[in-house]
Amino acid sequence: MPSSSPAMKKRSNAKRAVSLYIHIPFCESKCPYCSFYSTAMAPGKVENFLGALEAEIDLLKAAHKVLPDVRTTYIGGGTPTVLGPSHWVRLIDILEKGFRFLPGNEVSVEANPGSISRELISLWKEWRVTRVSVGVQSLRDEDLFLLGRSHDAGRSAEAMKIVTEAGFSLSADLLFGLPGQDIRGWHESLKGVIGAGADHVSVYQLALDPGTPWGDRPPAGLAEGYPLYRWAQYYLEKKGYRQYEIASFAKAGKWCRHNVVYWLGGDFLGLGPSAWSCNGFERSRNVIDLDEYCSITGRGELPVCFSEILEGDVLVSERAILALRTRWGIRSRKFSALFGAGSLDTIMQRLEEIPSHLLKRSRGGVYLSREGMRVGNSIWQMLLP
Amino acid sequence: MSVPMERIRNFCIIAHVDHGKSTLADRLLEATTTVSARDMREQILDTLDLERERGITIKLVPVQMKYRGIDGLDYVLNLIDTPGHVDFTYEVSRSLAACEGALLIVDAAQGVEAQTVANAYLAVDHGLEIIPVINKIDLPSAQPEQAAREIEEVVGLDCSDVLLASAKEGKGIKEILEAVIKKVPPPSGERDMPLQALIFDSIYNNYRGVICYIRVTNGTVRTGDMITFMATRRSFQVEEIGVFCPDMRPVDELGPGEVGYLIGNIKTVEEARVGDTVTSSRNPAIAPLPGYRKVKPVVFCGFYPIERDEYPQLRDALEKLQMNDSAIFFEPETSTALGFGFRCGFLGLLHMEIARERLNREFGVDLVATAPNVVYHFRDMSGSLIEAHRPSDFPEASMIEEVLEPFIKITGFVPSEYVGKVMQLCQDRRGVFVGMDYITPQRARIVYELPLAEFIIDFHDRLKSVTRGFASIDYEHAGFRPSNLVKVDILIGGEPVDAFCFVCHVDRAFNRGQEAVRKLKEIIPRQLFEVSLQAAIGKRVIVRQNVKPLRKDVLAKCYGGDITRKRKLLEKQKEGKKRMKQIGRISLPQEAFLAFLKSGDEEEE
Repeated sequence: MPSSSPAMKKRSNAKRAVSLYIHIPFCESKCPYCSFYSTAMAPGKVENFLGALEAEIDLLKAAHKVLPDVRTTYIGGGTPTVLGPSHWVRLIDILEKGFRFLPGNEVSVEANPGSISRELISLWKEWRVTRVSVGVQSLRDEDLFLLGRSHDAGRSAEAMKIVTEAGFSLSADLLFGLPGQDIRGWHESLKGVIGAGADHVSVYQLALDPGTPWGDRPPAGLAEGYPLYRWAQYYLEKKGYRQYEIASFAKAGKWCRHNVVYWLGGDFLGLGPSAWSCNGFERSRNVIDLDEYCSITGRGELPVCFSEILEGDVLVSERAILALRTRWGIRSRKFSALFGAGSLDTIMQRLEEIPSHLLKRSRGGVYLSREGMRVGNSIWQMLLP
Repeated sequence: MSVPMERIRNFCIIAHVDHGKSTLADRLLEATTTVSARDMREQILDTLDLERERGITIKLVPVQMKYRGIDGLDYVLNLIDTPGHVDFTYEVSRSLAACEGALLIVDAAQGVEAQTVANAYLAVDHGLEIIPVINKIDLPSAQPEQAAREIEEVVGLDCSDVLLASAKEGKGIKEILEAVIKKVPPPSGERDMPLQALIFDSIYNNYRGVICYIRVTNGTVRTGDMITFMATRRSFQVEEIGVFCPDMRPVDELGPGEVGYLIGNIKTVEEARVGDTVTSSRNPAIAPLPGYRKVKPVVFCGFYPIERDEYPQLRDALEKLQMNDSAIFFEPETSTALGFGFRCGFLGLLHMEIARERLNREFGVDLVATAPNVVYHFRDMSGSLIEAHRPSDFPEASMIEEVLEPFIKITGFVPSEYVGKVMQLCQDRRGVFVGMDYITPQRARIVYELPLAEFIIDFHDRLKSVTRGFASIDYEHAGFRPSNLVKVDILIGGEPVDAFCFVCHVDRAFNRGQEAVRKLKEIIPRQLFEVSLQAAIGKRVIVRQNVKPLRKDVLAKCYGGDITRKRKLLEKQKEGKKRMKQIGRISLPQEAFLAFLKSGDEEEE
């Protein structure tokens, strides 16, 4: 088991800033399509988790003497909003004690419309939160029922309202490709979140991941994703949102800095069960199970369960794939400065077969067109060694 | 040999498939205690697992039974089992030539079927004494009188003292054995004449080399003799002769009328061909026994290994199979789509299926077969006749003066309510009506002539489905006839794909082209650009369809932790696409080719 988290290695003394991710491993109930780790709340569990989180930070500090400053922050899960105000007070306290947050930076929190509250909003307001990402999923009750969500569309609208009223930047997550979903229903949801004042919209195609209930027994009548996605691209751009990544649309300047770090190869440090960290050349993951996470940190060990060194063709193709997810694409000069001109050539050769209406080529680099983004998975496959 | 020639009886059993031939053979072996109860198992004479599973007989195993008749005398009864299928008509004819009599088995519930008649006539042609037996009288639906009437009317045999039996329950077995003694004439032949023995089958054995199944007509053969095969002109020293009981038991000598085996350091079955005559090298016979011919394959297809690097294994397996079965023909062939493989020729579809299954089972070779085709003859502008074994042998249409294709004459026994449907099926397959008569008010005999090519596609399945399995059919070859045939190319993105092209009648080209394009459209993976699929005769495109570019994909989210997982998923998908074949700028996975060729198979089942 590696002794320390890779985001910290080599860099710790250089005191470079990282992006911080906190995984809150609790949900009120498990959605049948979700593959992220979470567990049910039970008395004492949250306290144990918070204690272990604090221990993890202390262990990192002990291993590296100085922790890097924090650039962007993202508190996700799970469902961060299932923690009550007192737990949040404790969480904020732990983070403030553990890290130095560079001022003026983005801090995002994921919120579930079913559990978001005015108390939490005001706590966040007092702290550093700038951005709230609401898991709307759909603004149609029949979709929400099918998805097993704990809230209805009215509740989502209410949640978005209190977020914007508090002055946060609002991001809304929507799912497409749902059973029985048509353009009309999809449009209703898109229109609804725009009307609620979201300045950022993430659209995710319903994925049937193995290991989830729907992955094992897919629901009937799944809608074809392509036309729905195409509609989102068209409609959101008409409404002033710019697509800056496969699944992400934002009004001017409102793109999520934290997420862009993932795609452009920045360093990030993940805390909590199942959280991932990466320093650009080494990636690692914490143990997935909460109990295990608590007991390992309790023993005074870092709870890392997996790590891999990224190098050679794997690193190059992975970076190319991630870059092509974004509207900036692969920037030739930056890419060859990082990986060498030979690597850039290799990537460009692999992209040769792709027709020009899918892949735009310019002197500065290559990027996917709108149509290209729709078939991204097939293009990424071609980039593998 | 302990009995004189007049107490030898050589006979075979002929029957329609499923009328109980193998079970009856089992009972005869039991009744004569040729096989002890301890060693008995079902279908004991069928040596291949495949035969037992399919309930059909492919290879013939002769067996010698000793039987004491009610007259108190000891007899030797040689039972020569025969394959009932038309693919093996020649082999059947050689087995019949080794006999003096035949038991004609008819199912008491089913009555006379197509193969009953075909095989009975074949036996009559060979001058055999035929003993009709009505089997399965234990069945609740048995109608022995009706079956007897059909035998009299359709086959023309006297059924006034027809034998009734139930092989399953062991009823009537003794009566059958007595009838064999009484009715089948003993063999005739001269001990003192030069040796003449018929090879009615030969098999390859890993330890012993080729084992010839022979029937001595004149003269004698002993261990150590120098012998010559008259057609192949090969000579060997006899290492061992013997009889089947049913295991091999060596004897000193085989004389006139006797049936047994011969081993003599013979390397391949090609050297000991079915129908050839064995004679003495020192004192050869003046002439061979009549009826020998070299069998020629009539149905061809390509065999390709699924794993491309298994080509050498496939070649070895085919060579070994050919040592066993000289009727199989093969030569190397290259396909741009499927790589290296072999063009293989067979006596018929069943023969092809068996070869394919044996390659898989006995030699462990996983292979894919291209669509079968018949042999075509064409005359070019210079007037010379050329034989084509594969669609790609077809020259350009402008070079062909005349194309000929093999025809067959089929005889079907059809319940009267299905007559119309069967006739429609035959018409659809370019059949020419020859005749029809009613055997009974409920059943008709229909005779058509139709191209073999139409027959091998899926005629049996269509027949089965339009008659709910109540019709039986048999066929014989009827020679080559001129036909308006064309080669249809299948093009993907403008590039012809050899594995998919086929030959068919011009009137069917459109439908079959459409069918092929439709099938292809289903299986080719969506590409990033539009792909055209075409069927064309020469330069003339007859079917065109475009496959819309890919537009269905899961655009999953991808954040910090997803990256590793995503990459592994992509790598896995990519691995599956490794064996891609480039056709123009289109990548097709091998699976697509296999799916295309296999979907045809499913229709056949």
